[in-house]
Amino acid sequence: MNLAAIVFAAAEDGVDAGKAVALALGIGLGSLGAGIGIGNIFGSMIQAVARQPELRGELTGIQWLGFALTEAVVFYGLIGGLLAFVLV
Amino acid sequence: MTRGFRWITLGAVGLALTLPASALASTVEGEEEKFDPSEEWLLHDWIPIHIGPLDLSINKAVAYLILGSVLTILLGWFLMRWRLGTDPDRRQTVGEWVYEITQTQIAEQGLPTKAIARWFPYVASLALFIWVVNVIGFIPLPLSDETFELFGVEFPTWGIYAATSTLSVTLTLALMTFFFTHIEGIRANGAVGYFKSWIPDVPKAMYPLIVPLEILGQFMRLISLSVRLYANMLAGHMLILTFIGLMFVLENVILAPLVVPAATAFYLFEILIVVSIQAYIFAALSAIYIGSAIEPEH
Repeated sequence: MNLAAIVFAAAEDGVDAGKAVALALGIGLGSLGAGIGIGNIFGSMIQAVARQPELRGELTGIQWLGFALTEAVVFYGLIGGLLAFVLV
Repeated sequence: MTRGFRWITLGAVGLALTLPASALASTVEGEEEKFDPSEEWLLHDWIPIHIGPLDLSINKAVAYLILGSVLTILLGWFLMRWRLGTDPDRRQTVGEWVYEITQTQIAEQGLPTKAIARWFPYVASLALFIWVVNVIGFIPLPLSDETFELFGVEFPTWGIYAATSTLSVTLTLALMTFFFTHIEGIRANGAVGYFKSWIPDVPKAMYPLIVPLEILGQFMRLISLSVRLYANMLAGHMLILTFIGLMFVLENVILAPLVVPAATAFYLFEILIVVSIQAYIFAALSAIYIGSAIEPEH
């Protein structure tokens, strides 16, 4: 009941609703790319360790570096989206 | 300590933490104020200090930074400087482990051998400081702008807030790395040699396109270094706050079994993985940037 009231209130204010949808879409699409990238990194890590387990220690550092660099892409999207949300 | 006693202690601490929260909840319901997550990031001056155009006021972020610096110094001293022996106990083993991680995983990955002695202290203290500031950002502390009343006395609300979820803090840390990078590059290669090393091996006709991009790239490093840490901590806190806040926005306590586990999952993800990864990444990238300035590849 309360939820429905909020949805209707948001729909009345079309501009805010559009901004919210755009922000959510932007972050969602950004997460999509980063999700594929992070999956790639961990998949490659598993393959690499399966082939050469003795390199695990050296590879772990590179793996986390790649993880953080890829994951940050989502947050650039988030910051960009928030900036657009506040400024427009 | 037996296992049962541990659980009782944990439960007692948890109960003690929920008491102020319930007191707060009752006052909020009474006042009927609207919940807005972004209010957590408004910084109010606690002790205003204005010197000319400079605003050096003490606010929530500054308090967290001071606490973080003190804790970093105490932690380093406790783990690595206090009662060291040839027969290490558990505390000293942790200290040596921290030292080894920062040396082999951070300093030796990025810095050339001749520069490790000079720059290892910087990257290691950077990693330790960011880690401590991030961790105390996820521990509820009575440092907040809001107050609640208990037995007629005003207490500050217990809340989680990380100084690193403020862009000014992370930008300052990134600026330090930025300046050290270029100062070290100029010192090691000379000004002309260093700026020449920015230009990659391409035909001369490509220079008008490549040179502005390379210069822009140096400044993009500054932005990516600061925004990565800032946005990670901001998004982590916002996720937890929004999930808990969903109860107050929808004014429905039935959601609690749904939102509290979700917020707990994000909390555990943040404090177990993100906090350490971000401290490691910031220090490792600083080491790589400084190292690549001292010994350019071409």
